[in-house]
Amino acid sequence: MIRFSTVLWALLVGVSGYAMFQVKYEVVQLEDELAHVNHQITDGREQIRVLDAEWSFLNQPSRLAQLSKRFLNLAPIGPEQIGHLSQLPRRSPLPPAAAAAAAPPSVSSQPMAAPRLVIAGGTVPR
Amino acid sequence: MTLQPDDNPCRPRHFKPAACAPAPLEGPAKQSLETSHTRLIITAALFCLAFLVISARLVEVAGFKAGETRFAHVHAVDKPEAARADIVDRNGVLLATTLEAPSLYANPKLIHHPERVAEQLANLLPDLSEGEIAAKLGTDKSFVWIKRQLTPSQEFEVNRLGVPGLQFQVEDRRVFPKGNLAAHVVGYDDLDGKGLAGIERGFDDILKSSSEPVKLSLDVRLQYILRDEIAHTVSDFNAADGLGIIMDVNTGEVLAMVSLPDFDPNAPGSATPEDIFNRVTLGTYEMGSTFKIFNTALALDTHTATMASSFDATNPIHIGRFTIHDDHAQRRWLTVPEIFEYSSNIGSAKMALAVGTDRQREFLGRLGLLKAPSFELPEIGAPLVPSPWGEVNTMTIAFGHGISVSPLQMATAVSAIVNGGVLHRATLLKRPAGYAPSGQQVISLRTSQEIRRLMRLVVEHGTGKLAEGSGYLIGGKTGTAEKVAAGHYERKALFSSFIGVFPITEPRFLVMISIDDPKGDKWSHGFATGGWTAAPAVKRVVERMAPLMGIQPVDENSPEIRRSLMVDSPDLQERKLAAN
Repeated sequence: MIRFSTVLWALLVGVSGYAMFQVKYEVVQLEDELAHVNHQITDGREQIRVLDAEWSFLNQPSRLAQLSKRFLNLAPIGPEQIGHLSQLPRRSPLPPAAAAAAAPPSVSSQPMAAPRLVIAGGTVPR
Repeated sequence: MTLQPDDNPCRPRHFKPAACAPAPLEGPAKQSLETSHTRLIITAALFCLAFLVISARLVEVAGFKAGETRFAHVHAVDKPEAARADIVDRNGVLLATTLEAPSLYANPKLIHHPERVAEQLANLLPDLSEGEIAAKLGTDKSFVWIKRQLTPSQEFEVNRLGVPGLQFQVEDRRVFPKGNLAAHVVGYDDLDGKGLAGIERGFDDILKSSSEPVKLSLDVRLQYILRDEIAHTVSDFNAADGLGIIMDVNTGEVLAMVSLPDFDPNAPGSATPEDIFNRVTLGTYEMGSTFKIFNTALALDTHTATMASSFDATNPIHIGRFTIHDDHAQRRWLTVPEIFEYSSNIGSAKMALAVGTDRQREFLGRLGLLKAPSFELPEIGAPLVPSPWGEVNTMTIAFGHGISVSPLQMATAVSAIVNGGVLHRATLLKRPAGYAPSGQQVISLRTSQEIRRLMRLVVEHGTGKLAEGSGYLIGGKTGTAEKVAAGHYERKALFSSFIGVFPITEPRFLVMISIDDPKGDKWSHGFATGGWTAAPAVKRVVERMAPLMGIQPVDENSPEIRRSLMVDSPDLQERKLAAN
């Protein structure tokens, strides 16, 4: 009996010792990985900061104004181009095709205040 | 010899069986045995206890504390420790940030051919001369800065030289991506990251300790619009410089603040003191007729005058060595609205005399115009206030001469007059949405509404006509001050302003523009007054900013609007009677 328990304990000591070292090496490896990932995060953050700064730099309003002048055919919205929903003509109860057939001249001949109408309160992409 | 039962003849002679029962020990032997027995038990008990404690702790840690996992923080990513906090505008647009930049230093003791290295470095770093570098490398120190904060490509080139003794130190560098745009608000730093002006200086401690960005009330889009229009006006009228401010009249938030000429905070070394001077907060000016807003509000609020009262503006006032005359002289009795509309100095002076010196001084003090305001920027100018404050001063202050205040104070006080009479401290920090700032009631709501109507009148028919027609119901007041030169007022050197408020029916924003020393041109028929220079600029700013702020244009001639802004002044017939 005594012999058996001694062997058992020795075995347990051996197994737990092995397990402990195994866990220890795993931890060391994980710590290395963690340090590596943390380094990457720090690098990534610094890169984000640089890109943020560059984004802000490239978005200088004066630069955007120049680019818009060069490449876009747009001008600032004048007050006469902004209207309200209540200024729109009432919608016909008939479907568009039927309405067009029923009263063709009225829709097209209706003069609009401005060629482009921006509805106040609508979302304008910035 | 008898054979005893135990005596086995086969048994070796020396082997004797142990006695069945130990012989009772006697004396000292028994004593020592008992002592060791006790010691054994005590030791065993101690060990048992120790193991019990350990097991209990084990059970506690494994069983009951499983929820709260704790990790060693050795490798945890902390916030970048030394980096200064960012500065952003009200929409989160970056105005100032900190980036890493390599700085080049040398250990001259390790450098064998200083002249050759100096020549190579001078080729790479064009802003350093060869002699300068050679002198640095010739010293017998073991550390000299060659150049702080290199660009990445310069770093690469220096590394490629492969000279031992040249090394890099990563340093933090403050970067202002918007350059000149908000230079006076944001300010600038020295090379060691210490704030020297603007928010960088005013918030130095907070920027250093916090990692949260400082959120300003500024709106970069409005800042650009305001700067753009002021710059145009300054160049159109060949002026010396210009300034402007946009303020939310209901919270006191500064949405834009421009002082031209300005500078690039990324390279403050190349800016002149003239560029760095913040005209909006540090500069104080005699504001001219825009002060009539206060003068009229004072007269109406103290019930010294009503909208129907009139004053004699037929002849200039001579007092001492001064003569007070009108620029747009009508040479007759004028009602209060007319005095405001035609910007009559004579009428205003008489209104002020009717109120009296003490009440005038107390009122201007209440509006915060007599002492330096508290503000987030360290560049704050104290007003120049007359002392002693006599009757002459009362009369000149009525039309904005003889007292100098900063444009910031002016905008804050006018905001209070038009927003229903509540004075809010001006601020550069963003107020949270729905924040209702506490303020001090300085005039009655009724007076405030009357002043709104008068300001609308100025734009509709008076000196501010060039600000009319935007569709956003601008109300305002022009101001043209003659600048003091060599001890007397110079009629040719002007400080021309326009303070606009819109929509005047329910004011939300104040736009103030002042142009320093504009020269009249052909377009303006030689005029360089506030009505000809600043008023059209304010109109253009309003037209550009209103869509961004979600303000809807209205038909300015619709009957409802006309009725809501009607000035109940006596009609023309009565005016003639009064003139008699």
